[in-house]
Amino acid sequence: MALTRGAGLWRTCCRLVPRQPLLLSAAVRTQSTVSGDLLPCPVQTSLSSPPWQGKTVLVSEEEERSRHAAVVDTVNQLIHKQDFGRLFAVVHFAGRQWKVTNEDLIQIENHIDAECGERIRMEKVLLVGAEEFTLIGRPLLGKDLVRVDATVIEKTESWPKINMVFWKRHRYQRKKIIIQPQTVLRINSIELAPRLT
Amino acid sequence: MTARGTPSRFLKSVLQNGVGRYVCQLKRISIIFSKKGQGSLGIRDFIEEGVVDYAKKNPTTVVYVSPQPCRIPKIVAEYMNGTVREEIVTNKTSPQISELLAKMTNQSGLDIIRIRKPFHTDSPSIQGQWHPFTNRPPSIDPIRPKKEDSQ
Repeated sequence: MALTRGAGLWRTCCRLVPRQPLLLSAAVRTQSTVSGDLLPCPVQTSLSSPPWQGKTVLVSEEEERSRHAAVVDTVNQLIHKQDFGRLFAVVHFAGRQWKVTNEDLIQIENHIDAECGERIRMEKVLLVGAEEFTLIGRPLLGKDLVRVDATVIEKTESWPKINMVFWKRHRYQRKKIIIQPQTVLRINSIELAPRLT
Repeated sequence: MTARGTPSRFLKSVLQNGVGRYVCQLKRISIIFSKKGQGSLGIRDFIEEGVVDYAKKNPTTVVYVSPQPCRIPKIVAEYMNGTVREEIVTNKTSPQISELLAKMTNQSGLDIIRIRKPFHTDSPSIQGQWHPFTNRPPSIDPIRPKKEDSQ
């Protein structure tokens, strides 16, 4: 009994002792922020300094430019030889952004103004990525650079969603059955033109 | 009412439809109606006006027109994947029936139940799955266990 109580006491002491300087330092810090930035950071935590110890090496502008040119050149060569593997793209369609690759299926919750079997082109392409490189639009990629084609394969209806409103003790209930039109698209191809400026 | 307990499926297509070319999934339609019945008035109108146009427009679909003494006229649609769907067309007018037929033609015969995700992909990642060390600049030291601070 006595032993366990002693252990409990010890634990509380342990908890108290490191907390006191913590509280003190916090008080000091609030004062210092009012008067001016005197202390850097009184408590060292894992987040008070970046994990790489601030050893960022800055590159000169010419060096940076040459590196950028090298990157653009290698990407251009890859595109010219068309030896990137499978491409993926982020397209903006039906009010949301879809990450698609070839032979994907996407379903939108609305009807579309195209017949089944028609091929449509998705023009708002935000990003195209291959295994080795990524082209990011600001915000969109040009129409002559990327071409994403899709086929309408199904125009159907959603399952009947039941929207029930019930107010207890008031003899009030409303039941609404909602059926939305849906369209399923198949992504056919993502093509990248062989020129990057 | 929540939708958790309802039957559901994932988004799919019949036999990779649309990868090469699109194939209309409606295989056969049989229109069953009565020659005299009051409820079959609209569908008799439709058979006079629109059936031939529909059959010409959809050459891949077989259309059967079978008059028989029945009270409830209906359209039975059979799809490529074996689904048979019946639609009752009692007291429906001719434009309503043609709209219904167009809807059935555009469907693929998969179950109309809750769909869990609005997308389906066979290759989920092209650049590899992200982890905390992707795109980590090589100027940073390699990861090693943190040194214990001497107290």
